[in-house]
Amino acid sequence: MKQLITMAGLLMVLGFTSCLKKDNLDGPNASLEGNFFVAGTKNNFQTATGSIQVKLEQLSWSETPAPQEIPSKIDGTYKNSKLFGGHYRVTPYGGAFWPVLPIEIDISGGTKQDFELTPYTEINNFTVQLDTTTLKLRFDISAPVEAGMPTITEIQPYLNTTSMVGPGASIYEFSDMKKITVNKEWADMTPADKSPEITIEGLLPGRIFYVRVGVRYNDSYKSSNLSNIIQIKVDQK
Amino acid sequence: MKTLHKFYCTLIALLLAVSSCHKLDIKPVNVLNDDQIFGSEAGINTYLAQVYRKLPIEDFSYRPAGRDGWGFNLHHEWEHFWHLGAGCGEMVGPWGGLDFAGGFGYWPYADIRAVNYFIETLPRYSDKYVGNKVNELLGEAYFLRAYYYFALVKRYGGIPYITVVQNFPQQTVEELQVPRNKEEECWNFIAEDLDKAWSMMPETSVSGRANKYAAAALKSRAMLYAGSIAKYGSLNFVEGDARAQGFVGIPADKAEDFFNRSWEAAKLLEAKYSLYQKEGDKELNYVMTFLDNNSPENILVRDYSVPGNNAHSWDATFSPRFMTADGLSRAYPTLELVERWGVLNVINPDGTPKRYDDVVTLTQGLEPRLLATVYFPGTTLRGLKFDVRRGIYPSFSGTAAAEVAKPDNQRNMFTASGQDAKYNDEMQIIGMTGISTSTDQWTRTGFYVRKYIDFRRPQSEVGLFTSTTHWIEFRYAEVLLNRAEAAVETGKTEDAMNCINLLRTRGGGATLSQGEVTVESVRNERCKELAFENHYWWDIRRWRTADVILNNQRFKGLLPYYVYDEKKFIMLREQETFGRNYNFEKRAYYEPIPGGELAKNPNLYPNNPNY
Repeated sequence: MKQLITMAGLLMVLGFTSCLKKDNLDGPNASLEGNFFVAGTKNNFQTATGSIQVKLEQLSWSETPAPQEIPSKIDGTYKNSKLFGGHYRVTPYGGAFWPVLPIEIDISGGTKQDFELTPYTEINNFTVQLDTTTLKLRFDISAPVEAGMPTITEIQPYLNTTSMVGPGASIYEFSDMKKITVNKEWADMTPADKSPEITIEGLLPGRIFYVRVGVRYNDSYKSSNLSNIIQIKVDQK
Repeated sequence: MKTLHKFYCTLIALLLAVSSCHKLDIKPVNVLNDDQIFGSEAGINTYLAQVYRKLPIEDFSYRPAGRDGWGFNLHHEWEHFWHLGAGCGEMVGPWGGLDFAGGFGYWPYADIRAVNYFIETLPRYSDKYVGNKVNELLGEAYFLRAYYYFALVKRYGGIPYITVVQNFPQQTVEELQVPRNKEEECWNFIAEDLDKAWSMMPETSVSGRANKYAAAALKSRAMLYAGSIAKYGSLNFVEGDARAQGFVGIPADKAEDFFNRSWEAAKLLEAKYSLYQKEGDKELNYVMTFLDNNSPENILVRDYSVPGNNAHSWDATFSPRFMTADGLSRAYPTLELVERWGVLNVINPDGTPKRYDDVVTLTQGLEPRLLATVYFPGTTLRGLKFDVRRGIYPSFSGTAAAEVAKPDNQRNMFTASGQDAKYNDEMQIIGMTGISTSTDQWTRTGFYVRKYIDFRRPQSEVGLFTSTTHWIEFRYAEVLLNRAEAAVETGKTEDAMNCINLLRTRGGGATLSQGEVTVESVRNERCKELAFENHYWWDIRRWRTADVILNNQRFKGLLPYYVYDEKKFIMLREQETFGRNYNFEKRAYYEPIPGGELAKNPNLYPNNPNY
């Protein structure tokens, strides 16, 4: 009798498990990474966390896939190592650069894809001058391609206590409150507009700050071109 | 025993035989059928009550994302401080950003289907009604359908405009996957529905139901939206496939036509409705405008009742707990809103702050409409004073600007996070109603909301879910503002001036001269008159100014301080005490088409730009 019950139990377990389908799809074991380069150079495009997005549309999955995005890192690179392998349409967008056409690639393990981007403007000769607790920022703005540029809305410094500094990662009083409102087309900007000087006062003594500047546009994303980051050490009194 | 057995068997067999004669095809008794609904006016009222209940009126309990996924104000909501105005700088509150701009997937096609079903079915029962009743009811249905679509189009731009009852499985899936209409087409369809409603509906209606003037009021609002989207959306836009194909955005040359239609619709209400003028005192008059059930200004209201289980909590959640029996407040008018009436004069010509014996002195000479919209420090409610103080200065010298520019820790002042803390063991550092530095339940700007607050109710009765003040969805003041804006956009400045001056006179303010009538001044008037009525957020969106106004913005308050050695008050204009940032991404001018709907209907692609 006991054997019979055991047998029946075993048969039932077998019977139920036979209904289970085995998922034979691959896991998210593909990856995509790369750099954003300034066009014509091997310099990384200056970005902030998430300021550029790499849009992925998995065409091998659907004709109208829900897009997913890989945000840029602070050093001008991007990476996602948990993607499903397949055929994708890839478009970088969201930053302050001239639009680039989407490319279609097959993504599998370790796929690399760099992008060359032409920024709306370049920020050159960025220098800082620290006078006890007052910081003076100077820089020049130039445009590689002038025709058809979006309106420039503002020029603004970004100051933070970590090297993660940029739009969305800055101290309000030293950054947003110091912005210069421009609202001009590139052609209407005077030489003085293109070589601004910004003064930030009242930095706390004994602290380390990271500073950069940005030029913001009234394009679809209200994105900014950013300078490199400079570290500042304010001396103890 | 055996006989008994046989007896039971026979009995069962008999029962079976008898019951077999019953027909199974009987109408269910617990579901109302078409005959019961459409056969009598009572049935129709029941049906429409449900449609009105779900009508996307952004009322007291409207919270964009809803609570726990309930969507539009059907969830007995009390947290009114999750108010559209608190997300965009009319007030400041717990919303640090525009949590409601990302879309909450409002997709009321089931409700629209109920209206379409009504429109298709009612004519079959026309023999049950006398006179023009069927026509009137159909007109009301067209108004309701237009209202639902208005809520959709202002969020998504072009959507599928469905005017027939869809059926599955009688129709194939492909037939049910209706593509998007262009945005311009959608606004035109709304206008057509409202024109039908206007021609069919009666002049009057019971409270809570629409009449033909509600249709005209909605038309003036909708056409104004379309006009400004055409005009300003062509200048400030987000590029993308949906825009290139016309699903979002309207060609700029259509703006004038839309503005004209808005103006004409608003004109239809002239001499039919009027501004509330019953009280002699201007301030009281404006307060009562929102509390009096019999106001000649109300075109469509939504009613609430305690037994109906839909009473709201506005009275309890916009006043501090100090003045209520229950609840707490969290959203406070900004100085930016208050100073739409003009900059408050709290500083002497030499830059030092003015000294006040009592903070309430500040309210002297201010426009009654402002005082009826916002509670200032020192004013009273339910016998209690708005005792508002940010802190105490043992002594104060120097200018206001220099003091405000200093970091908090370099200022010679005492502040506290609670009311218990005292200075010199005698004086409370902050007042009974703020200003708080830690919790949200006392004002952060110095002000409290006054509009719609029923001052007549005793404190002990002001609790959660006890307010039954009606929400005025359409009032004549808005129609005048729609008309003024449409007029100034099309060069009819004199007409705009007359409309604005009606409002200014009623509110106790100075009148405008024709030279002062500009798009800017008309907009400012709108922001003042319609404060806290859930218009501002939609207005800055359709004017395409939201990304400029909310550009990493922080808002200000007017913070009173007590200067201890002088025994006087001073007031400083500074950042509200929580310093929250407000931002607006340009893509948020349109919300994304909900992902679930895109998956069901590929014809909804392309999604709105940048989503």
